[in-house]
Amino acid sequence: MTGADLLVLHALRCGGHSGPSRVAATTGLAASEAESELIDLAVAGLVTRTAGDFGGWSLTEAGRAADAERITWELEAAGARTAVTAAYEDFLVLNPELLDLCTAWQLRSVDGVMTVNDHGDPSYDARVLAAFAGLDRRASAVCADLAAALPRFGRYRTRLAGALERARAGALEHVTDTTASYHTVWAELHEDLLATLGIPR
Amino acid sequence: MRWVRPLSAGTRGTARTLGAKAHGLVLLHRLGLRVPPAFVVTTQACRAFLRDGRLPEGLDGELAAAVGGLEAATGRRFGGPRLPLAVSVRSGAGVSMPGMMDTVLNLGLTDGAAAGLAAETGDPRFALGSRLRFLSTLASALTDADGAGTAPGGAPAQGDTDDGEADPAGAIAELQERIGRRLGRPVPDEAAAQLELAVGAVFSSWESPRARTYRDLHGIPHDLGTAVVVQAMVFGNRDGRSGSGVAFSRDPDTGGNAPFGEVLCGRQGDDVVSGRAATRPLRELADREPAVWAGLLDALGRIEEHYRDACYVEFTFQSGELWLLQVRPGRFVGAAAVRVATELADEGAIGRREALLRVSPHHLRHVRTPRLDPAGEADVLARGLGACPGIAVGGVATTSEAAVRMAADGPVVLVRPETSPHDMRGLAAAAGVVTARGGPASHAAVVARAMGKPAVVGVAGLSVGADWMEVGGRTLGEGSVVTVDGTGGEVALGRPRIIVTAADEHLHRLLAWADDVSGDRSGGDEADRLEAARAVLGRGRRRG
Repeated sequence: MTGADLLVLHALRCGGHSGPSRVAATTGLAASEAESELIDLAVAGLVTRTAGDFGGWSLTEAGRAADAERITWELEAAGARTAVTAAYEDFLVLNPELLDLCTAWQLRSVDGVMTVNDHGDPSYDARVLAAFAGLDRRASAVCADLAAALPRFGRYRTRLAGALERARAGALEHVTDTTASYHTVWAELHEDLLATLGIPR
Repeated sequence: MRWVRPLSAGTRGTARTLGAKAHGLVLLHRLGLRVPPAFVVTTQACRAFLRDGRLPEGLDGELAAAVGGLEAATGRRFGGPRLPLAVSVRSGAGVSMPGMMDTVLNLGLTDGAAAGLAAETGDPRFALGSRLRFLSTLASALTDADGAGTAPGGAPAQGDTDDGEADPAGAIAELQERIGRRLGRPVPDEAAAQLELAVGAVFSSWESPRARTYRDLHGIPHDLGTAVVVQAMVFGNRDGRSGSGVAFSRDPDTGGNAPFGEVLCGRQGDDVVSGRAATRPLRELADREPAVWAGLLDALGRIEEHYRDACYVEFTFQSGELWLLQVRPGRFVGAAAVRVATELADEGAIGRREALLRVSPHHLRHVRTPRLDPAGEADVLARGLGACPGIAVGGVATTSEAAVRMAADGPVVLVRPETSPHDMRGLAAAAGVVTARGGPASHAAVVARAMGKPAVVGVAGLSVGADWMEVGGRTLGEGSVVTVDGTGGEVALGRPRIIVTAADEHLHRLLAWADDVSGDRSGGDEADRLEAARAVLGRGRRRG
C-alpha cells in the first residue's frame, strides 16, 4: 500500500495548490493526519506553504522530483506498468466524452446562439446527468482496473461516484464548478495517469 | 441505383436522404457553379448498415459504377498508376452536428497511384504528402468510428498535421502500421477496398458514444443516419497557384456587405478550418489570383440571391481554377444578424417583416459592443485578428484546466497556441480568448463567436508556455491582467479605458420596423420590442 506521506505528496502533484481539507478529501486521510504529513514533508523541504487568497500547500522542485521518483518506483515494484498503460488508453477513449458532457452542462444552444446553461430547465439537466451516469459506468470499469494494479487509484472511484451522487441530489456545483466536482476529480485522474507513467503534457 | 446517387443539377432527394452537404452541392450545380464531380451514399444505406452491421447488399457494385462516373467525368483512373483519381469521403447528416464530422482526403492514393501522381506532376513531395494525408485522415475516421478521441498508442488523432515534412516516407510507414494494428490486417492497398473501408468507418461513427450523446442533448433522433459524400479531389496543395479557403458573403462580425474569409495558398482545406496554419485575408486573392477572386465574388452573389441571406462557402483552387466544395447559409448572430437583415430589406431581397423574423431577440443581447478607447492610451501588447467583437478583461490562463480553476476567483482570458474541441471547457470558463495561430474561421474564432466571447486570433509571435505567455519581448505570468478587444484585434496590458458606443443605425431602424408591426411606441427594452413584433408575426418565443 502507498504510504500516507507519498499519498499526500502525490495529491499536491496531481491537484496543485491545496489546503489540508482538500488534501484530506483527495487522500481519504483525516484532516489532522493530512496536515501532520504536510508539516513533515515541509520539514523535509518537499512541500511549502504560501499565504493569501491563492495560497495553500504546494510542491517544491525537490518535492516534484521526489514524487516522480517514488511514484515510478511504486509502479515498477508492483509490476503495474502494463496494466496502468492499458487503463490509460481506455481513459483516453472516455476523456473527450467527458469534455463534451462538461461543455453540454455549461452551455446550450438557444436560437442558434451558444448560451450559458442557467439550469432553469430541469429536463435538459436531467438528460446531461443521465449521459454522465452512462459515462460513469464505463469509467468505473477503468478505475477498477487501475485499483487492481495500484490500490491508491481506488480513491478516484469513490470521489467520482460521490460527486455524481451529490449532483444528482441537486448540488449542481458538483458537476463542474467545485474542487470536488466530477470534472475536477477527472482532471486529477488524468494528471495522475500522466505523472504515474511519466508522460509529459 | 438503390443506395448511391450521382450529384448533379437534376439530383432529386431531400436533405434527410442526401444529407445537408450533398443537398448543398446539388444547389451549387443548379446555380451553374463549378463543383468537382461527386456522388452520395444515402442515409438509407447508413440505416441498413447500422441495422445489419455490414454494408448493404449491392452497395459494392453501385460504388464501382458511381466511381466509374467520376472516372469518366475527370478522365482519370481510380487507383490507377497513370492519371490516378483520388476522392474525398465526408460524412454529411441531414442535420448539423458540428464537431462530429469525419473527412478522409486523397483516398485512392494507393502506393502505386501515389507513384503515378508523382510521375504525372513531377513532384514526388506533393504525391507523398498527399498519400500521407490520406492515411492520417483515415486513421482519424477509424478512431472516431470506435468512439475513441485519440489514435492507438495514445498519440493524438490530429497529431499528424505537419505533413511529415521531415520524413514523409517514415511517417507513412508508421501510420500504416498504426492503422493495421487497429484493423487487425494491413491497410488495403486497393482503391475500391479503401473506399468501402472509409464508408463503413463514417457510418460506424454515427453510433460512437460522443455522437449519441450529442444527439441526446440536441433532441436529434438516433435513427436518421448520415450520408457519405464521395467527391473527386481537387488539390489545394498542387502547386504555387493552388490553395484553399473559406468565405462568407458578408462580414460575420459586423454584417458589413463585403466578402470576408481567409485563404491558405499551397495547402488542403482542412488546414484552413482547423486553424493549424497561418492563413491570409481572403482579399489577398484579388491580387494573387484575379480570376479565382472574380469567380468567387460571382458565386457568392448567386448563392446570396438564392438564399436571400448571407452565405458561407468552402473552396479550393487548383492551378488557378476555382472549385466550390461546400455551401450553407451564413447563420450570423448579434450585431451582424441585425445589419444583414436590415440591409437585405433595404436591398429588397426580403421584406421588413422577414427581417424581423431573421433576428432573434436573443441576439440583441450581443449588439452593443464596447471598444478600447482610442484616446485612452492603452498599452497594447499584441495585435491579431479580431474574431469576436467585445471587451474582456481578465487574468491570463494558458490551459483550459487553469482557466476553469481560476474562473472561480474572477474573469479569465484564455491564451492558447490554438484551440481544439478539447479546449471547450476552458473557452466556456473564460471571459475572452487569445490564440497565436488560426484565422477568423478557426475553431477558436467560431466557438468564441458562438458563445459571444471577445476573441483575438492569429497573434503573430505569441508564445504560450505552461503558465506564461510571451509576445513582443514581454513575458506575462499566469493571472496577469490583460484586456482583449475582439473588434480591433488588440490585447492590452492591465485595464485601459473602455468606451461603449450607442446602438447603431441598423438596430434603430430594425426596432422602428418592429414598433410599426407591434403598434407599441412606448419604447423600452430592445429585446422586448422585437419580441412584441415577432409575437404579432406569429413567431414569438413560447417558453416558460
